[in-house]
Formats: sequence, structure tokens, C-alpha cells
Amino acid sequence: MNALLTSAVAGLTAGGTYALLGVCAVFTYRLVAVVNFTGAAIGTAGTFVLIALYEAGFPLWPSVLAGIAAGTVVGVAIGFIMTRWFGEASASTKAAVTVALLVGIIAIGLRLTGGQHPHNMPELFPGSAFRMAGVEVTIASVLTIGLAALFTILADLFLNNTKVGLNLRALADRPMAAELLGIRVQMLSLLVWGMTGAFTTFALMIIAPQRSPNFMTLSLLVVPALAAALVGLFRSFWRTLAGGIGLGLVEGMASSVDSVSQYRSAIPFLVVLAVLLWSQREARWDEAR
Amino acid sequence: MQWKSSLVAVAFAGLGFAATAATASAAGPTCKDGTIKVGAVSTITGPADFSEVPKATQAAFDAVNAAGGINGCKIDYTIADDKADPAVAAQAARDLIDNKEAVALVGSGSLLDCAVNSATYSRKKILSVQGLGVDAACFSSPNVAPVNVGPYTLSTAMAYYATNQLKSEKLCAFFIIIGGTQEAYKKAIENWEKISGKTIHLIDLTLPFQGDLTPYVIKARDAGCDAVLTNQVEPQVVQLIKTVDAQKITGINWLFLAPGYTEQVASALADTKQPIYVGTEWEPFTEKSSPANAQWAADMQKAGRPLTAFSQGGYLAAQMFVKVVSSIDGEVTRESVTKALHEMQPITNPLSGSPYVFGTAKVHSPMQATKVMKLEKGAWTVETPDWVVLPQAK
Repeated sequence: MNALLTSAVAGLTAGGTYALLGVCAVFTYRLVAVVNFTGAAIGTAGTFVLIALYEAGFPLWPSVLAGIAAGTVVGVAIGFIMTRWFGEASASTKAAVTVALLVGIIAIGLRLTGGQHPHNMPELFPGSAFRMAGVEVTIASVLTIGLAALFTILADLFLNNTKVGLNLRALADRPMAAELLGIRVQMLSLLVWGMTGAFTTFALMIIAPQRSPNFMTLSLLVVPALAAALVGLFRSFWRTLAGGIGLGLVEGMASSVDSVSQYRSAIPFLVVLAVLLWSQREARWDEAR
Repeated sequence: MQWKSSLVAVAFAGLGFAATAATASAAGPTCKDGTIKVGAVSTITGPADFSEVPKATQAAFDAVNAAGGINGCKIDYTIADDKADPAVAAQAARDLIDNKEAVALVGSGSLLDCAVNSATYSRKKILSVQGLGVDAACFSSPNVAPVNVGPYTLSTAMAYYATNQLKSEKLCAFFIIIGGTQEAYKKAIENWEKISGKTIHLIDLTLPFQGDLTPYVIKARDAGCDAVLTNQVEPQVVQLIKTVDAQKITGINWLFLAPGYTEQVASALADTKQPIYVGTEWEPFTEKSSPANAQWAADMQKAGRPLTAFSQGGYLAAQMFVKVVSSIDGEVTRESVTKALHEMQPITNPLSGSPYVFGTAKVHSPMQATKVMKLEKGAWTVETPDWVVLPQAK
């Protein structure tokens, strides 16, 4: 029992990561109606700008700002492609386009950053926050979970209680109608892409030092993040938050049980499958009627 | 143990010398149109880039050709890119064998060449002096004999080093298993158990290729491991040590294989105080001034090639091939090269701790020695100036 608790706490770091990126994915989906597979890759691009500047000897915090700016630019660029050419496309087409973009970004990113060679990733928030069940919970993990929770609250308030939030929801549901109502669709969409770009970049800067520091593995963090988003059915921020943290805890516990441990990386897929089956259980009946 | 194996090495060296001396008086190798055609199947584009291996082979062959070739025969070397794609790899091998009429494969370094092509090599009766054996099939095929130690023998050697010289009592092993490598790693640990007479304290074959490593380092700590051996590659080595530091774990020796031995890993881990050891495939390439590296370094610099571990492998493969072909008396054909490799005496080279031999065994892993490097303040230092030679299992 104790070992299980220890490994669950050990999974908390991963859980915070999934939750934070998952919440960002839900945010993008609800505001611009895109299941965004490039989310983590955008953040990774910004993070590698930070690494490049830091390795070149620039001071840390200005490099961080430059990295966030770069992430914002990449986010806006991808947003431009999505709104300009695929604004009216179906959700599945848009998702497929982002998958294609992800593959492209990873290929270019690996080439530019020297492939599998590791980099010297500066730790923005080094050190340990507290010790629990024999595991050091790092400041970075506390921060990721905290940020995920904060983002959840802010996003909820923003979408439900502000005029801009309302406009954005209109934009996601009926872009054409929103445009006819005089909402500046293109402008607002790019704003959302830029904001999520900046935010995921900052998130990945915190996460990256605890992860394998290469372009591909960081970009592929989007898979468990989307699994978390699916737990919230791409609508609920709170469920996504819980889903992400839960996913991390389950993964952590799985690593302490030898017979399950080797299937550990399949857990996000199992979660996706279970959620899909559960959420579609009535759809089948509706069709039959 | 050490002096015994060096005696053996000296004896082998004498044999090799005698063999070449004997052939010097004979007619030597001849070739039909003035060239000896040789090929390599390597991963150049794709998820990994092993191009340094065959390019170093190329540089070594160029040097031989510039000096007049082997008994007047110039080596015509073709490098084929397999793009880490099995279909492309199979096609590349067939092209080299059937169209280019290669007499042997030398200096290949690939993610999947052995796994995909070793059956073809057996069927076509052609041998591969692999410059860098990566997949398990490179060490379990009758027609491939790599010039590197390889991850499996190196795992055994590092475990042997841990118990023998670091005096580890509770050695734990964590492996990433990709493809069909599980049996090979299990066997590597079993070999160590036979050699050392100890049993492994903990073996975990579920280390993830990507994902958070916190649960694994906690597992190692709570199991009481005093040394941990893993087969992680560069970025994961950095991630693992960062995770260990975040968890404030001390008192464990961390042992890695050759992929961890890079300058990027050293500089990324400059701040850690963890004891980190890696096993090398050959004479440590970071020791630029070591006498064992002198010839290789001079030839590489002349060719304008970087001094990397990969280039040692390609270079070594070329040296072995040239020596074996020089011993052929008569026309150099696929048959005569295969025969010469099958019947060759072991050849020593200062780049490696074991003599190289192909021979007629069903499986080959001639290289059984490593040097251990330790990470000290962002730089690799030689921990074992003498080779750590793996004894035969009892």
C-alpha cells in the first residue's frame, strides 16, 4: 500500500504536465474549434529558442521572454494557416491538418536542434517544494499543477462571464454567423492562437528540464494531454484537469506493479478508448431509434 | 585477470603479425579490373544518423587507395542509405550485392541492416564487417561480425565492472526494450551472473523511451540498489540524472552504455554530483592525445572528418578488411574474401581491447573489452586506463 502511494506521488509530476497541456488543448478547441495536435510542439519550439539563447550565453530571464515571444509567433503562424485555409473545414479535417503540421514541425525541429543530442536545459524553478511519501515533490511540479488549476479557473470565468469570451464561443460554434454579426473573426482567432502559444511555451519551459530534453519527446507530450482533454470531452476544464492528474497518478502506480508496468505507455490510449465508449454509449441508442 | 588477458592479446598480435608476414612473400591479392568493390548499408537519413561510420570507412579506404591500393587494387566503396526503412534496406543490400557486385560489406552502421538483411547475406554468401552493430541480429547472425562491443556484451561488461571494481553488492538493471532486444538483454545479465557468481538485485525491462522517470528512480532507491545499469541513450541519460538529482538521491553508482558517452551529455550534466560511468566501444575518443588513437586521429584529420566514436568504428572495420584482403593469394572475389574472413587469424588494433576475428561460428561478438569513463565536472575522464576485458563465462 505504501509503495503504491509512493509511486502515485511519483506520478504527480507527469500528471501536472498532462493536465496543464490538456487544459490548453480544451481552451483551443472551445475557442477556435480545432483539436490541436501541435500544442506541445508550439511550446517546444519556443522552449528551444530559450535553450539556444541560454547556451549562447544570454542571461536567463530575457531569454525566457524571447522564447515565449517565439512560441507566440509560431502559435500565430499555425493559427494563420488554420483560419486562412481551413476556417470552414470540418473538425476532423482540421485535426488531420494539425497532425500533418506536427509531423512537419518535429522533422524541422529535430534537424535544427541536432536530433537526439541532449541540450543544457536551464531550470527556471529549481529545487524541491516538499517531501511526501518519500518522494521529493519539486517546485516545478507544484507549479505545473498550480498553473493548470489557475488556467482552469481563469478560462472558465473568461468564457462564461466576459463579452470577448462570448464572442469567442460564437466564433468557435458558427464562424460564418459570428462574422456576419460583426465579430472580427480572424483577429480574435489569431489572438487565441497567440495566447495559447505563449502559455504552452511557458508551461513547457517548466516541464522540459524534467523530461528527455529533445524536440520529439517534448512535442509528443500532446498525446497524453489530448487523452486528458478527452476525459473532459473537450468541454469541461475541471474534468480535464482531473483527468490529466489522474492519468499521471495511474501511470506512476502502474510502474510499481511489474505485470502492468510494461504496458504503462498504453495507458493514455486505454483512457481514450474508455472515455469514447462511455461518451458514445447513448449515441448508439439514439441512432437505433 | 588483467595480465592474463593482455598476454593473450600479445599472443594474438604475434599470430596476426606472423600471418601477414607469411603472405608478404606470396603473390598477394589480384583483381580483375583494378578495383575491389565494397559496400555498406547505413542509416543516414531518418530517425538516426550513423553516416559517420561508413564515411570514416571511406576515409580509411581513400588513404589506402592514395598509397597505391591493396597490391595495386583500388577499393571502390559504395555507401547506401537505408533511411531506417526495412524495404529500402533490403533493396539497398540487393543492389550492392547483385548490381554493384560487392565482395563484402564493410563499415555499415544501421538501425536495422542486420535484422533485415542477415538472411540475404547468408543466402548470397557475403559477409559484413559491421562498423557499428546496433540491433540484436548483428550479434546473432553467422554472416555479420561487428567491430564494436555492442549493447549486450557491454551491459555484461559494465555489470562486471560494477561488481569487480566498484564493489557493488546490489546491482540493479533497468532496460528500455525496443523491438526484439528483450532476450538479448536478459542473456547479457545472465552472462554476468555466470561470470560473477552473483545474482541481479532487481531487473526492470519496462523503462519507457519517453515519459517521466520519477517512479523508476524511486523504485531503484527503495529497492536499495547501490549501482544501477541502464541502456538509455543520450537525452534519457540526462533526464534520468536530472530526475535523480531532483529526488535528492545519493549513494548509487549510475552506469550507462556507449550511447551516453558524448560531449553533449557531459556538458548537459556539468552540475551533477552523481557518480556517472559509461562503457566505451573502443579507445575513448575524447582522449585525443592517447597513442592508441594516434593513427586513427591522423587519418581522420587528413580526411577532414570529425573525431567521433562512430568514426572509430568505421575506421576499424576498414583496417580489418584491408588486412584480411591483403592476405588473399589470388583474385579478390566474394568467395575468396568470405573464405579469408572465415579462416583469418585474430587481428589486434590499438583502438579496441580485443582482437578482431570473423571465423565460422554461428554468431559473432569478437569484441569483449571496454574502457570505463567517469563524468567529472562536465568532462569525461578515463577511469580504467587498462581495458576491462570480460572473462569467459564459467
